[in-house]
This record gives sequence, structure tokens and C-alpha cells, in this order.
Amino acid sequence: MISNGMVVVKQLPDGRARRKRREFLAEIKQLARESYRPQLIVDLPSRKLTSEVLDLLLSCAEQMEKSEGRVSVAGASPEAAVILELTQLTSVVNVFPSVSEAVGIDASRFGSEDLNDGRHLAA
Amino acid sequence: MELGALVVTQGSHGTQQIDNSTLPVLGKTVLDRWVERVQGLGINLLSVVDSDLLGSDRLHTMIDWAKKGVDQILLILVGSYSDVDLLDVVRFHHEGQHRITRVFDPLGPLGISLLDRQIILNSNFETHKLGPAGPSTRYDFLGYSVRLSSPSAYRKLVEDALEGRCDVKPNGLEAERNVWIHPAAHVNPSVRLEGSCYVGAYTRLNPGVVLRGRSSVEHNCDIDIGTTLDHASVLPNTYLAPGLCVRNSIIDGTRLENLDRGISVDLGPLGLSGRKKPISIPSSTPSVIRNRSLGETSFCVQVPIVPDAVDRASAQVEANGQ
Repeated sequence: MISNGMVVVKQLPDGRARRKRREFLAEIKQLARESYRPQLIVDLPSRKLTSEVLDLLLSCAEQMEKSEGRVSVAGASPEAAVILELTQLTSVVNVFPSVSEAVGIDASRFGSEDLNDGRHLAA
Repeated sequence: MELGALVVTQGSHGTQQIDNSTLPVLGKTVLDRWVERVQGLGINLLSVVDSDLLGSDRLHTMIDWAKKGVDQILLILVGSYSDVDLLDVVRFHHEGQHRITRVFDPLGPLGISLLDRQIILNSNFETHKLGPAGPSTRYDFLGYSVRLSSPSAYRKLVEDALEGRCDVKPNGLEAERNVWIHPAAHVNPSVRLEGSCYVGAYTRLNPGVVLRGRSSVEHNCDIDIGTTLDHASVLPNTYLAPGLCVRNSIIDGTRLENLDRGISVDLGPLGLSGRKKPISIPSSTPSVIRNRSLGETSFCVQVPIVPDAVDRASAQVEANGQ
């Protein structure tokens, strides 16, 4: 069954843990397969942006694109926001100061459903 | 009438703070530009010292010069850049027979003073105070000046210089209107230079690079494929990775100062920028005057004026009528 407009909030795994990154990406691939126009909100508080994290964000955006979805980044530190702009990732991910602001905008545009270990939001 | 000049840099004050006067602005540091202007007055007795040096040491130098017969000393604290005409300051000082002349702009003192010999000889060595000369005389300057107290001030000076709003001349050749490129720079034909910008010596702009918004790239930088600079300055010996978009920032090696947010970000761990091995660039300012030691023999030097490669190239262009 294909869900429409699902909104999922997830925290990125530690950039150094390769196995966790693989598992995370597998979940995102599943989300992309099983939903149409999903909205993935990545919570980034105090997460330092490493090249692995940037790579993972790019892979997420790629997967979401396949099902016409979108990735948003919430709670990024000013330093992280600068890096996202510098690397032009802001052209493929939306950046919000907090999860609630990301959800406020996203939820108005999309519905939501439950998904395994992510936080799930009602429209 | 013999004049001496003591140019005092900002120094680091023992912190990580960057001394903006020693950062190049379109090919030459503000310090170098002050030194050239002092040389332009025909002053050969010139010394450059760091403000980290004790005030008593600086005063000692001036007293030493005064004892040796120097009539007046031009003291420049390099915390700002201004287009002030030093010759006019000297003339004003002479005509008014002032003992101390201090240069002000509407915001306050610019750190430029002209001191008479007698004042220096009467100074109080213990308190590092100049002698009882009565009040100093103000020389009010209403032209261009900027205090180099922040990265934003540095960017303002770069932008104003590129737009011709001040007397700072880029160290390069004007390829088009307000587009300045050093003859030793390597600019790929596919590079887009949109509006006023500067490319320094031995800098490489790779295919697809875009410079806009009065951006500057100082000497010995390498900007990789497809990177865009918009209202940005890249300081010497910096490598920038491909595909970046640098806006309203100053990058020095691995450190990025974002002027919008007022924060500093280390790009090193991400591999987005790096520090290149420095190369020596011919300068019109001999290195000997940068000696920070207090050794008497190395402190005062005669400064020869050596035209650098760009000056020669510029002269050649003018001679060819281009």
C-alpha cells in the first residue's frame, strides 16, 4: 500500500558509525518505496556536520526525489546552516530553525502516517 | 628638516584575533600601503613595529631618533585605512607651528599623529606619556576612511576599492572596467567575472568558477571547478573545493567568516577548503622593516623603493598605450 504525504521526523545517526548509516538509509529507501510525496524532517540538534553526514543527507534527498518527496533539516546550528549553504545542499533540502517550524509548514501541505521508529505526525 | 616615521601594526594582543592591517587588500596589505605613502613623502627613516611591543619601547625609539636629530616623527597606528594626504598634514603642522598634530575624521582619531622633536625629548619615560606640550591640534579629515576592526570592515574596504570609492589601487591590471587581474594569475577561459572583482598573483581560477558581487581572491589561491564567490574574499594561500557557493564571507585557509551570521566555521574537517603552501611574492616593502625586534641596529633602516612586477607591467601597458 502506498501512503500519501507521510511526514516523518528522524535523527541522523552518528556520522562515524557506518553500519548505522547503512541502516538509516535502508529505512529511507523503504519510506520512499512505500509512500508518495513523503516529507522527511531530519532533526540536527548539536549534530556536527561531517562529510559522512553531508553524504547521507544527499542520499536521503536522492531517495525522496524518487517518490517526489522532500527532505527538510531542522534545528541546524548556525555553523551547520552555513555549511549547508556553502555546499549548496539548500537547493535540495529545506532548512528550518526547529522541528516544529518544519512540521508547521510541512503538515499544512502533507498528511502523515506512522512509520516504524520515526516520530510521526498528524496533519 | 628631517622626518622619521613609526608605523605601529595592530598586533595580535596574544589572542587568535587577526591583525587586519596585515591582510592583503587587493594585492597589498594596508600596512604596505601606509609604508608606500610614507615613502612617497621622501621619509627614509622608517620603522614598523607591532603594537604588542610595550609603549615604553616605542617611546624609547622615538626619543632615540629625536636625540639623533630627527625634527619630527610621524606616528601611524595602523588600525584604520584613510585617504588622508600625509603631505597636507605635514604642511598643516608646519604652517600652524603646532607641537602635536592629530588627525581626526568625524568618528574620532584615526591614529595618525605628527610630533615635534622637543615634545618627544620632554616626554615622561616612566609613564610612557609625551611631554607637557599643551593640547594637540586637530587636523580634520572628511574624506574616505574605514576602521579595520572587523571582517565586515575588511570587506567594506575591498568593495570600496573595487568600486573606486577610495584611493586603494588593486595590484594588477584592469582587464575590463573594475575587473583587476594580476599578470601572474591563471584564469580559465570559462571563468565568469561578473562586475567588479580582483584576482591576485599566482592564483588559479579553474573552469566554471564564477566571481560576482565585488569578490576578491588574493595571491596563491586555487578555486576549484564550478565554485561561485558572491560578495566574498579569499585570503592568500587558500584552496577551495569544487562546486561551493561562498556568499558574504571571508575565507582564510580552512577558516570561513560568515558576515551574515557573524560566525566562524572550520571547513578543514569537511575537506571543503585548505591551506596551500605559501609562496613568496615580490613586494615593494622590504622585509627588513618588518623586523619586530628591538635591537637598535635592526630597528631603523633606510628603505629603498623597489618597483614590483606589477608596477613594471603597468608601466609597460601605459608605454604601449593600452
